[in-house]
Amino acid sequence: MGMRVQPGVIGCAIRPVIATGARSLEEIMYDTAQAALADAGLTTDDIDGIVVASNDQFDGRAIAVMMASGSVGGVDRDILSTPSASEHAFIMGALRVASGQFRTQLVVSWSPTEVSSMPEAQRLGADPYFHRALPLDEMSAHALQASAVERSQPDARAAAAAVAEKNRTHGRLAWPDPVLQPAAGPLRWPIMPAMTSAPVTGSVAMVLAAPDFIAERGLTDVAWLRGMGWATEPSFLGDRDLATAPALVAAARQAYAAAGITDAATAFDLVEVTDATPYAELLAYEALSLCPRAEWAARSEDGSFARGGRLPVNLSGGVLTWNPVFCTGLIRIAEVANQIRGRAGTHQAAGVRNGLAQAGSGFAMQYQSAVVFSQEARS
Amino acid sequence: MSLDRVGIIGIGQSEFRSRRDDASYPDLVREGVSRAMADAGLELDAVQAVVYSLSPDAMLGIGNAERLGVDAVGGRNKPFLRINTGGATGISSVAAAYYHVASGMFDVVMTAGADKIGECGDSQTVLNKIWDPSYERPLPLGTINMLAMSGVRYMQQYGMTEEDMALVTVKNRQHASLNPKAHLRKVVTVDEVMESRYISWPIKLLDCCPQSSGGAAIILASETFIRDNRLDAVWITGLSHTAETYWMGDRMGVNPTAEHSGAHALGRSFEKTYRQAGITDPAKQVHVAELYAPFSNTEFHAIDAARLVSKHGESIGRLRDGEFSIGGRIPVNPSGGTLCTNAIAVTAMARVAETALQVWGRAGAHQVKGAKLGIASGNGGDHQIFGTMVIEA
Repeated sequence: MGMRVQPGVIGCAIRPVIATGARSLEEIMYDTAQAALADAGLTTDDIDGIVVASNDQFDGRAIAVMMASGSVGGVDRDILSTPSASEHAFIMGALRVASGQFRTQLVVSWSPTEVSSMPEAQRLGADPYFHRALPLDEMSAHALQASAVERSQPDARAAAAAVAEKNRTHGRLAWPDPVLQPAAGPLRWPIMPAMTSAPVTGSVAMVLAAPDFIAERGLTDVAWLRGMGWATEPSFLGDRDLATAPALVAAARQAYAAAGITDAATAFDLVEVTDATPYAELLAYEALSLCPRAEWAARSEDGSFARGGRLPVNLSGGVLTWNPVFCTGLIRIAEVANQIRGRAGTHQAAGVRNGLAQAGSGFAMQYQSAVVFSQEARS
Repeated sequence: MSLDRVGIIGIGQSEFRSRRDDASYPDLVREGVSRAMADAGLELDAVQAVVYSLSPDAMLGIGNAERLGVDAVGGRNKPFLRINTGGATGISSVAAAYYHVASGMFDVVMTAGADKIGECGDSQTVLNKIWDPSYERPLPLGTINMLAMSGVRYMQQYGMTEEDMALVTVKNRQHASLNPKAHLRKVVTVDEVMESRYISWPIKLLDCCPQSSGGAAIILASETFIRDNRLDAVWITGLSHTAETYWMGDRMGVNPTAEHSGAHALGRSFEKTYRQAGITDPAKQVHVAELYAPFSNTEFHAIDAARLVSKHGESIGRLRDGEFSIGGRIPVNPSGGTLCTNAIAVTAMARVAETALQVWGRAGAHQVKGAKLGIASGNGGDHQIFGTMVIEA
């Protein structure tokens, strides 16, 4: 079923790394929200509703949405929170515009790093009887998934290494002065230090609007939402085949059906995926119908997904370049929207008309989303 | 623009208790889901998307505990996301499910959740962590002393007494005695309330909600689906949220942004919701109200904010006269309300569920005769995020 009203993205602010200490978390949220509004040419007064997403354990607060009232303009406004995932905030904001009951939505997510131990905070998300005692954190879950992928596709490790190198090369262009660093703490086999990056504090905001508002304001740099899908896998890793991504297959099916896409491999000018590890990117290739796993190694090594290749993936450098853990999914969506809008900065690709964003989060990417943008509004 | 209406086609609620040692957290979620599906007469395959209702993770001691509930709601490989607006979460989740359907993308959407507040140890220890760690958390604030301060100001401004507060408890316990799902069902007297120990003056033990365990679920559907499948439904005709400042100090200074004796943002939310539903005189048009009020004193400012009376503070005398009791002018919290049952993740969902059952004529022993239009509300954060809804037969 299609959306009643087609939302368009009219403003984005991506702040993948923020030096901590100079600004409080509330000030970071304020800065990011204001930057997205400025990008859209709007003020807070133009916003009908807000959706935020953050993680209580990372924030050290029991209901993290509360402090968003003042900092992102929530006072006297309709504000909701989707703590399940940053990308879910985009979905919720888009649904609200699509309902015809809101003309504009501000979507904001953030991910601080003040927590004393990120793996310990993540471990609290494991069930207390089985997984928590393993002990399980996100890196462990990524590693279990990587192992399963390698077992099903023996040349996956070579492909993963090529993906990591590709994204780091993209990252050097996108962020000329990055402080690239491997993830802190011990990694888990087969995840190598070069396949991840350390958590950083970051935030992201997007502004969505309805077509009548966009026309009324005469806005031209718009990334129109053509389709979106989202789905979840069960939480128990033992109930899942970690070598596959069925929730992403389901999410892509929804998004492609809405956007009228029948051949995903040729439908897009670029793609952003949540490469928490390069194995996650490889799984996304397959689940998004971009490349079967038998071709992962060949396509990764021949540059098909690199800048200048057949279908560039993660021109931003992806999570492997910057890793603000909780909001990496929403950043992928904002990156594609910016590419469509011609506002991606140093890593802008030429002639981007159609793009795809994939967002994944949770243990071994339990939550999966796919978002299709186009420069053209639907007719 | 002409929109398809969004209807409620199924409701499931647990019998809420202090402890549910017989049921794990996902079991409790499933309990509400199974009952709602049976009520709707549908199978889980018919549900196209799920909105998960869960307030602070810390109550369960599991981060992002919604992940553990995926199978309990039949969410595997389906659209699934979680909402958290604190105590308002339940009504916010219904609103989120409403927007799923209203977007045109889905015909049938479920919202579900559960909580085990009765088994979390001390909810106030968790709730202290909702405040800013540097400024207001160390006072130390909890939701009881936060709303005791509201009560003191309401007393000073409108003349509410502790006996008036006790009358709210007496009324709601009387209502809850008729509701088999309510947690605290024992009828109490004003004297018993007055003799209960102070928790935070002027709030006494019997002015407080319990810590409850239980689950709930509601199924929403598009008008087209409801008509095509000849289903029975009641309709959400107005909804909105409004937030106010995070900072308690900003509500009690010389020039407060929103006076803490009242519920300013709740009133603003009701304004929008009434406008959407075409309600111009709620005191005459509303037949029944389920208003989120976890402490007896807060029911007064909720009634004021919903404009069931003509001016702030008038609710005190009207309640004394029995206008808000079953059989009165506009029964408020005929289920017993939050004061008698509070499993936080689904408390505000229960307000929606009970309002829907009332206008459906299916509320059982606590049915309000002839109710066709009802209102529901939810409060979250530090009396900060408010959701409101109008439901009609």
